[in-house]
Amino acid sequence: MTGMIQGGWEFVWAVYGITWAGLFFYALHLFRSERDQ
Amino acid sequence: MKTTLNILWKDVLIEWRTRSRTVALLSFAYTILLLFAFAIGPDSAALRQHAGAYLWLGLLLSSTLLLDSSMRIEFEAGAISKLLLAPVSAPGLFYGKAIANTIQLWIIGAVSVPMVFVVCDATVVESSGWLALTLALGAAGLAAPGTLYSAMIARLSGKQLLLPLMLFPLVVPVIVSAVKATSLVMMGDPMNQIGSWLALLLCFNLVYWGLCGVLFGRVVEA
Amino acid sequence: MKANWEIGVGLFGLILLIWAHYTGLFVAPPEAMMGDVGRILYAHVPTAWVGLSTYLVAFIAAVGAIWSGKWAWDAMVEASVEVGLLLNALLLIQGSLWAKPTWGVYWTWDPRLTTCAIMVVAFGVVLALRRQIEEPMRRLTMSSIATIIAFVNVPIVYLSVKWWRTLHQPYSSPETVDSAMVTPLRVAAFGMLFLATGFVVRRWRQVHRQLKAEVQAPDLPDAPSPLAVED
Repeated sequence: MTGMIQGGWEFVWAVYGITWAGLFFYALHLFRSERDQ
Repeated sequence: MKTTLNILWKDVLIEWRTRSRTVALLSFAYTILLLFAFAIGPDSAALRQHAGAYLWLGLLLSSTLLLDSSMRIEFEAGAISKLLLAPVSAPGLFYGKAIANTIQLWIIGAVSVPMVFVVCDATVVESSGWLALTLALGAAGLAAPGTLYSAMIARLSGKQLLLPLMLFPLVVPVIVSAVKATSLVMMGDPMNQIGSWLALLLCFNLVYWGLCGVLFGRVVEA
Repeated sequence: MKANWEIGVGLFGLILLIWAHYTGLFVAPPEAMMGDVGRILYAHVPTAWVGLSTYLVAFIAAVGAIWSGKWAWDAMVEASVEVGLLLNALLLIQGSLWAKPTWGVYWTWDPRLTTCAIMVVAFGVVLALRRQIEEPMRRLTMSSIATIIAFVNVPIVYLSVKWWRTLHQPYSSPETVDSAMVTPLRVAAFGMLFLATGFVVRRWRQVHRQLKAEVQAPDLPDAPSPLAVED
């Protein structure tokens, strides 16, 4: 290890983006299917 | 116990009478081996190094065919429901079938080993007793969950596509351990690791032979 | 949409998670070794904890379903496997994206990442089975068995891959967390937990309703009017 990794914010944004997108779309799917029932 | 032996004897007899399935599976294993050799190319070092992997992948692929065919016999013409009406215990049936499958895999494995030695120019550096033990435990590890799941698939009227998919996660520890142990036997084991891999295989077998025996009843009674 | 308790719990979890992620992203210090990339921690670790817990719930529900044969347990198997799979898939993607800047490659046969990949198949099979089988009782039995086996398999796979890997090269991952980072991490974990609980219970209600409707006997026809007596 040569010291602290610099930068890498694009990975951080990608992770948070995908995580929140996943949670959001699942919630959407959940309530959409509820409405159809 | 008596059920197990009866079922086992029945399966051995059925197979012995025609031996057609065994021949088909051996041809299949042999073909897989050749395909691997062709895919890798004439790189003899690579072939020798990964001989263990080819052996077990060949066995694994053959096992999916074996498991499916072996369980299908039981479900033809509703034979299994009649079998269970007679006082045949479900766990007894499971262990009989699973042991029969294991023996069949041992046979394929035993014949595959010399094939692998020839095609990959491999040798045994450590004692061949380890190889025999690895083969025994690995085959058993594939057969136990395989027999349970093949019964499940047979009930679903022929969804064969699912069987390899269902087996894959279970089979990873078996393949990893068996291939490592086999490779160490073939290439040398300076750090005495074979024992650990075989221990993992043994644990896996103990867990799954127990668990699947218990669950089998539920699968076939439904 | 009925406002049951799980909506409240889920929303509360959402708020906690938003706070925790905001803090983790903009307030907490960068990680000692991984710098800003270490902030992925606040998303990845809670997903792992809650994902595994959800699978544990699925396991317990599967045992309950086989034991009792009741639809409530069966519905919980479906709900928890579904949410568990969502978290599992997210975990895989997060892990891969974390691996790239820290280890240089998207995939690396790390025991945890590998086990994660295998679990997706194992539990995905449970849902696939549930879609395939139409007979309700058989569906309950088969999917519960598949769930039990999938869960029992997790530690075995993890162990075997870990040994397989460490014999090649040791890998390092952050085990200890800096104190300034513990709070947002803990809050994120609870946030994720409450949010997942909201999801699971909500989904459970839907599935349970569907299952009950499936097995209900069709309504009897109206009672015929008594025969009129001819005068």
